[in-house]
Amino acid sequence: MDPQSTGELLRNLLTVAWLLPLAGFVAEIYWLRWSHRLSKTAAYCAVACIGLGFICSASALITWGVATRGAAFSDAHGGHESGHHAEQHHEEHEPQLGAAEGEKVAAADPHNHDNDKKHDHKNDEHKDAHAATEHAGMPKAFSGTFYRLAKFGALNVSLDWYIDSLTLVMFTMVTFIATCIHLFAIGYMKDELTEEYEDHEVHTSHGHFTRPGRFHRFFSYLSLFCFSMLGLVLAGNIFQVFIFWELVGVSSYLLIGFYIERKSASTAANKAFIMNRVGDFGFLIGLMILWTWCGTFQFADVDHDPGLFTMIRGNDGKIDVSEDGKQVYLRDAHGHRLESNGKPSTIGYLLLIAAGCGIFAGCIGKSAQFPLQTWLPDAMEGPTPVSALVHSATMVAAGVYLAARFYPVFTPEVLLVIAYVGCITLFVAATIALVVTDIKRVLAYSTISQLGYMMLAIGVAGWGAGLFHLVTHAFFKSLMFLCSGSVIAGCHHVQEMPRMGGLRRKMPITAYTMLIGVVAISGLAIPVLNIGLSGFYSKDEIVASAMAYSNANRVHFLLFLTPLVTAGITAFYMFRLWFLTFYGEPRDQHVYDHCHESPRIMTTPLIALSILAASCAWGWGTSGTGNEGPLFKLIAFSETVPSTEAVTLNGLTIPSHQGHHSDVHAVHGKAGLLALIAAFTGAIFAYLMYGSRVINPAEIRRQLPGVYDFLLDKWRFDVLYDAMFVRPVHIVSAWCADFDKKVLDAILHASASVTVLVARWDRLFDETMVDGIVNMVGSVTRSIGYSLRVVQTGRLRQYVMWIAVGVVVLFGVLFTSLPK
Amino acid sequence: MFSSEFLLSMIVFLPALWAIPLIWFDGQNKESMRYWTVLGTALTFVLSLQLWYSFDPSQAEMQHLFRYEWIPAWNVNFALGVDGISLPLVVLTGLVSLLAALASWSIDKHVKGYMMLFLLLETGMMGVFLSVDFFLFYVFWEVMLLPMYFLIGVWGGPRREYAAIKFFLYTLAGGVLMLIAMLMFYFNSFGPNGEGTFDLIELARIAAGKGTAVRFSESLQLAAFIMLFIGFAIKLPSFPFHTWLPDAHVEAPTPISMILAGVLLKMGGYGIIRIAMPLCPYGAQYAAYFLVALGVFSIIYGAFAAMAQTDFKRLVAYSSVSHMGYVLLGLAVWKISEGKTAGADYWAMGINAAMFQMIAHGISSTGMFFMVGVLYDRVHHRDLNKFGGIAQLMPEYAGLAAVIFFAGLGLPGLCGFVGEIFSVLSCWNFDPTLAIIAASGVILTAGYILWTMQRVYLGPEYKGPHPEGITPFTAREKTVAYTLVVLAVLLGVFPNYLFSRMDKSISGMVQSMSHTYDTHHGAGANMETTQVR
Amino acid sequence: MGSVGLEEYLIVGAVLFVCGIVCMATKRNAIGVLMGVELVLNGANINFVAFSRYTPLGLDGQATALFVVVLAAAEAAVALAIALNYYNNHLTIDVDRGNELQG
Repeated sequence: MDPQSTGELLRNLLTVAWLLPLAGFVAEIYWLRWSHRLSKTAAYCAVACIGLGFICSASALITWGVATRGAAFSDAHGGHESGHHAEQHHEEHEPQLGAAEGEKVAAADPHNHDNDKKHDHKNDEHKDAHAATEHAGMPKAFSGTFYRLAKFGALNVSLDWYIDSLTLVMFTMVTFIATCIHLFAIGYMKDELTEEYEDHEVHTSHGHFTRPGRFHRFFSYLSLFCFSMLGLVLAGNIFQVFIFWELVGVSSYLLIGFYIERKSASTAANKAFIMNRVGDFGFLIGLMILWTWCGTFQFADVDHDPGLFTMIRGNDGKIDVSEDGKQVYLRDAHGHRLESNGKPSTIGYLLLIAAGCGIFAGCIGKSAQFPLQTWLPDAMEGPTPVSALVHSATMVAAGVYLAARFYPVFTPEVLLVIAYVGCITLFVAATIALVVTDIKRVLAYSTISQLGYMMLAIGVAGWGAGLFHLVTHAFFKSLMFLCSGSVIAGCHHVQEMPRMGGLRRKMPITAYTMLIGVVAISGLAIPVLNIGLSGFYSKDEIVASAMAYSNANRVHFLLFLTPLVTAGITAFYMFRLWFLTFYGEPRDQHVYDHCHESPRIMTTPLIALSILAASCAWGWGTSGTGNEGPLFKLIAFSETVPSTEAVTLNGLTIPSHQGHHSDVHAVHGKAGLLALIAAFTGAIFAYLMYGSRVINPAEIRRQLPGVYDFLLDKWRFDVLYDAMFVRPVHIVSAWCADFDKKVLDAILHASASVTVLVARWDRLFDETMVDGIVNMVGSVTRSIGYSLRVVQTGRLRQYVMWIAVGVVVLFGVLFTSLPK
Repeated sequence: MFSSEFLLSMIVFLPALWAIPLIWFDGQNKESMRYWTVLGTALTFVLSLQLWYSFDPSQAEMQHLFRYEWIPAWNVNFALGVDGISLPLVVLTGLVSLLAALASWSIDKHVKGYMMLFLLLETGMMGVFLSVDFFLFYVFWEVMLLPMYFLIGVWGGPRREYAAIKFFLYTLAGGVLMLIAMLMFYFNSFGPNGEGTFDLIELARIAAGKGTAVRFSESLQLAAFIMLFIGFAIKLPSFPFHTWLPDAHVEAPTPISMILAGVLLKMGGYGIIRIAMPLCPYGAQYAAYFLVALGVFSIIYGAFAAMAQTDFKRLVAYSSVSHMGYVLLGLAVWKISEGKTAGADYWAMGINAAMFQMIAHGISSTGMFFMVGVLYDRVHHRDLNKFGGIAQLMPEYAGLAAVIFFAGLGLPGLCGFVGEIFSVLSCWNFDPTLAIIAASGVILTAGYILWTMQRVYLGPEYKGPHPEGITPFTAREKTVAYTLVVLAVLLGVFPNYLFSRMDKSISGMVQSMSHTYDTHHGAGANMETTQVR
Repeated sequence: MGSVGLEEYLIVGAVLFVCGIVCMATKRNAIGVLMGVELVLNGANINFVAFSRYTPLGLDGQATALFVVVLAAAEAAVALAIALNYYNNHLTIDVDRGNELQG
């Protein structure tokens, strides 16, 4: 198949897989319109949607495999070892790029996507002579646009898609796990199939709380989540990632708060959403910086406009830093320096770091990394299938996915931040997991810790290792969550491990599938042969990357030491969980007596997942296992900035990863051995303390009360945040409201009173002064008249007298005053 | 289908004409008057849709423009027209009026008077958005004020007189400033042989110095801009002129709150885009930093204040203050570097985002007030601490309310997101610090909205008075709610449907303003020999 | 003693005038007052006639005097009618007894 039609086929398949759950969501949310509360049909609808989605995704993966002639599965590194060769191939691709762009299926090839098999592998059965020429034209990633969201002059925002092997792996993984979990949930949520669901954890003023069951609602939320998650994976630009980022956030909010009547659940949901928003605040800053300086959100190049990856990394995978180290030159689609108005376009190096850290802040929120990790344990308020799907396998891994996807934009400094955040997280969470007794919360802390591993891996440039662990972790952690769900359902909603014990006799399938998960996460393997379950390989890979990094940068030795120690801690608390729950004698007879194995609809997904948890990293007859197995190859195939040689920038060295002579490969054996020793140590301690009970854990607890309380209080983060953020926000908000009432309104009221006062004065002035003058004129006239009326006697003779006198006076005046 | 004159005049005057027959309606027959009003607003809405479809989005200029002499002595024209900036607001007005009329069933006192004032109000609002003459604009501005005063003052809550007078005085004060500015422009537009003008297009041309004998001096532009801005900021409302809003909203009946939030606040933003900025480009640029800072401050301040409220309606009112801050922010991100406009595309994006935010807020805020009203009609109180468990009792209502509140929260896929995020994104180009502060609004917004939803909708049982009053959603309420929800989703998913209508007019305006600034006031001003009056 | 000159006429006029005034001022009888009025008028008439010699025509003073005589007759008729009415109202013609014109 030619690249263009392959791209279209992949896009169509994945789009169907993406949109089916949305259709499911719309149908299920109104399920009561055409069905009744006691029917399971809503669940079947959801399962059908996501199941079809899985089929589509798997077909897409196979299509990809066929199109690349299996090269993607078996040989990821071949091309990268011969850099020059890759350059030549890139030139050859240009015409094809041009041909494809009219169809909106532009091949994204920021780097040497050369897949031909220069390099030899012992077991490479798929190698054939034609392959090299055949899929030389097959790009490393396909991308295109669904439709435009907005356009402002030269600025363009659209909904895009970006498909590479990572996308395909994520799609297949998410849809598969989601299908399993949907099936499991049919059994787990069957309590909701009732008109009168009684919730024992909620008390009302009338006693017990009952409500109609919300079976269909649960599945509609799950479908909404699947839609958002797949959209996030399919997204072709960072803005679109942000859109779906928030949508998975809101699905998570709805699912955590599924038991809306429980205060703890709705509070946990709020906490999850708001803490994610804190991370998104950083994300937004990153978006703003990139938007302002690069003017695009695209990952891949569109036509001749460069995407972000090309802009920052060019075609050679290197950041083009100016002489003084303060500016980074942006590159156009051909890898040359981008120019605008005759000046080269640049972005400040510090700004690029800020952008990277900002985007990573979003990842911190979503993946519950330090310092925003506290929401995830609380999120366990949701039903267990939710914890399995959203809060272990998929959504929380989205942070890691984004960090990996956005890897080309991260400078070494950002990577260092990522590594340290991951490092701190994995240690903090693992230590808390040591003392937690709620079975789900142990798993929650374990999830945080494992996500920390992944972040660390990406930070130390172990790109493939981090994503490898993401996939293996998704399988074994969702498996373990489902097992814990099975236990919780079997024990009638008891979650405290001290009340369990010996359950393996009552629920064997759950117990032993769980054991597979525990072994996988602990990274146990058969020494010498180096055969283990999936987690062994991926953790091995991470530790090796970390070791290579700390070898290259001696200052950062903690980045290696911490994951190594934590590997032991991990093994310890996971085995502690298993021993406490399934091993030994029952500690609460009542719980034990009423406990039963889960029905088949719940155990089948457990078995399916346990098979993959055990085996997904194996070679299956191809080139090898672990980092030479098909899964790892498939993931590493889409690495956008492969490190073929050690690169040093600003004093930070990124060790080389690709091939048999790389820095990582050199330390692989040593690192694997150390990790294995740590894991065994942890597991043995767990057995001694909780299995054979040779060591009494209570004794240790008594001897270290401070540490124990500190850990039990989750390092007191909640208290700290409450004092640092929650209360100040409330205080400031009270200030603002008061300011309105007491200052702004007071000013307004004061001005109103002043106006009234002025009006009063005005009235007074009017009444006294203005009216006074007028009245005075009148009254004076009147009084003069009164005084004159005395003369008017009415006596005739007197008048005559006046006349006479008047005439005399007149004459007198005339004669005296007139001149002669 | 219709001539431009007929179409535009009918959109403006149909509601007022429709109110006349109400005089002869039987005062006791409330149902018939309600239906009559709904019919009138529906017809107006249909006409505005006709306008929407007959609009050519590829043109930047005013369309359907016509002028008739009105007061020849002062050169005042009856001039109406529509462009990409006013078009969405006209349609929004039509829609919100229709929905508010549908929500007016809860009005039981003096229905006839209410309906007449309501229709008159719609005429005033439509007139404001369609006027192309400053004088006419001013007249409609004041026409709209009076019905609103009575609608709040007669049909409002317990403190209605206080709220109505507060609203009236605030708006009137703004109107007076606008009047002064209007006269300033008029008397400064006298050419050597021409006469002064109130025509907005002509005034904008003078301001831009395009082939006219006179130009507005910088000091005039500055003074006029300040006055106009205060006038419009009161309406927007922006800190510190916002305190009329919570009171007016709390006291106003539900449909009037919907109109107040859905349309009236937009007049402030519209006035700034249509009048304050094109008529005083220099003033707008001079004050740009202040405007953006004020917008950002309003965002944060409104969000904080909302968080502290215990009255549901007051909370929504403060959320309006916060949301309208994004409008101010987006409008003003006009960056000048080295005396020239820098990144005009980002500014165009900001104005586009501001316009979008106005429409989105028109939908989400209208919806929020409606949702509050639905509850208030049932339980007759709005104390946030005395709710809870509504989702158990009215699941469909709670679901739709959640969508509307999430739209207000700025959830992607819903309308509120697009306006907020684009205005914030456009801001970094202008000033990174302000952009960061604005971005932090997303946390606070999430905080107060989620907390509110938790207190009202979630929880096991309803704790307040009148629990018996909680009855299911009626069909009429559903119609309103679903209309808003569907629009919120559509605009959130396909924002380009709206952007594509507005973009030409906005980018035309941006180009003309930045060209004016660059040649007359910026670095190019030294070479300019034109005499400045 | 020379011929009678203007001065003598004026003295007679003035004496008549003063007699009239005094008569008006002292008589309480309305008829007496009327008589005083006649004296005053005729005092003035003598002055008119006396001065008429010095006017170019020499007749206008005499014409005025004639006019005044006619006027005085009409005035006497009216005044006597008033006096009669006064008597009807007050049963006396003592002018001091009527004060209806008092303000």
